[in-house]
Amino acid sequence: MKWRCALIQRWLPAYPDGDLPSFWQAVVRSHLEKCPACREELAGLEAVVSSIKAAPRHEPDQAFWDNFNRELHLKLAQSVPEPPPARGFRIPYYLLGAPALAGLLLWLAFGYLNPERPGMPPQPQLSQEQKALEQTPAIPRLAAPAPAPEKSEAVVMVSQNGQDLHGDDDLDMDGDLDSTLAGMTETEREAFLKKVRQHEKDGSCTRESLIVSWA
Amino acid sequence: MTDPQLVARAQEGDLPAFEELVKKYQREIYGLAYRLVLDAEEAKDLTQQAFMQAFVHIRGFRQQAQFRTWLFRIAINQCYNYLKNRKKFGDPVDCDEYVLVGEDSPEEELVAQEDHRRLYAALERLPAKQRAVITLKLEQGLSYEEISKVLGGTAGAARVNYCQALKTLKKYMQNEDDYEVAVRPYPKMVTRISRR
Ligand SMILES: [Zn+2]
Repeated sequence: MKWRCALIQRWLPAYPDGDLPSFWQAVVRSHLEKCPACREELAGLEAVVSSIKAAPRHEPDQAFWDNFNRELHLKLAQSVPEPPPARGFRIPYYLLGAPALAGLLLWLAFGYLNPERPGMPPQPQLSQEQKALEQTPAIPRLAAPAPAPEKSEAVVMVSQNGQDLHGDDDLDMDGDLDSTLAGMTETEREAFLKKVRQHEKDGSCTRESLIVSWA
Repeated sequence: MTDPQLVARAQEGDLPAFEELVKKYQREIYGLAYRLVLDAEEAKDLTQQAFMQAFVHIRGFRQQAQFRTWLFRIAINQCYNYLKNRKKFGDPVDCDEYVLVGEDSPEEELVAQEDHRRLYAALERLPAKQRAVITLKLEQGLSYEEISKVLGGTAGAARVNYCQALKTLKKYMQNEDDYEVAVRPYPKMVTRISRR
């Protein structure tokens, strides 16, 4: 069978009554005009329909129905119509999952957007500076020592002036000091540590002079 | 009195009004049940059960719907349940009673009878759902829209089901004789006598 015939024959049973969408009705009609195989198939289907319509129905006599109605009356007399099912705003059980899912999604979305919400572990909010510091090993504090409490004003001033608190091109602040030292010879290491101490000394002197001039 | 008027009174608990509706539709419902279960006695029981269900649930019926299609739906569900149980307990369908109608016909009708027998045997092999769609369309004269109200789904799906059912039925009728030999090795008369 050609593919076109197979397609047409799918719809053939609905064709005689004009029950197909108008496009298909026209396609089937024009195909039937030129295809004897599909005409034969249609004739066979129409024969089946005629045979069903002509088939004698099982139609019981009046005595059967009298008996039927007597029996049914007794059964019906014993039953009472149930109250109508509550309609109103009741949600069908199969739709209950949708609000639940929506709620879950909202909860998750807010959990991510709002870390203060209980239930979600708060994500530490780090500034760029703090993040950079975290990635940096603790050692660089050697170059920018924690200031003594009485010197905190100076630190603030430096910071307000927009200067880098521990910027010094001579020292590799981003590196690991231990590994830096490990890669050096004895003399190199001594020279290096001396330079670090000298730098510390310079830094404190600068701060002290700043405080004096400001006062 | 119209259907909506009778239904409204039945919804108030008026049994005679409901019995009016029973008398109006009992033959159609019985015919449908009979086609589906292929057994006169069962068809009678199922028809009564369908009306009982309809009466008990009449207050849930909304007047926008057609009472007739609502009734068909109840009846078909009763039949499906019955067929499901029968399948479970392995009781085979016997459609010989169809042949008993017009047993005393003259000679020239024998050919037609043989045609009917082949039809019933083919119908028997059809799945209940396809049998239902054929009966609703060709015997009860329902539109695809109405069939979809009875069987569920869309009107388009009802049309697809009808096309499929009729094609299958035609195929079964064509090879019914081969099937008879393979599945029913006993002569028809033996079965028929045993049923009496
Ligand atoms: Zn063709």
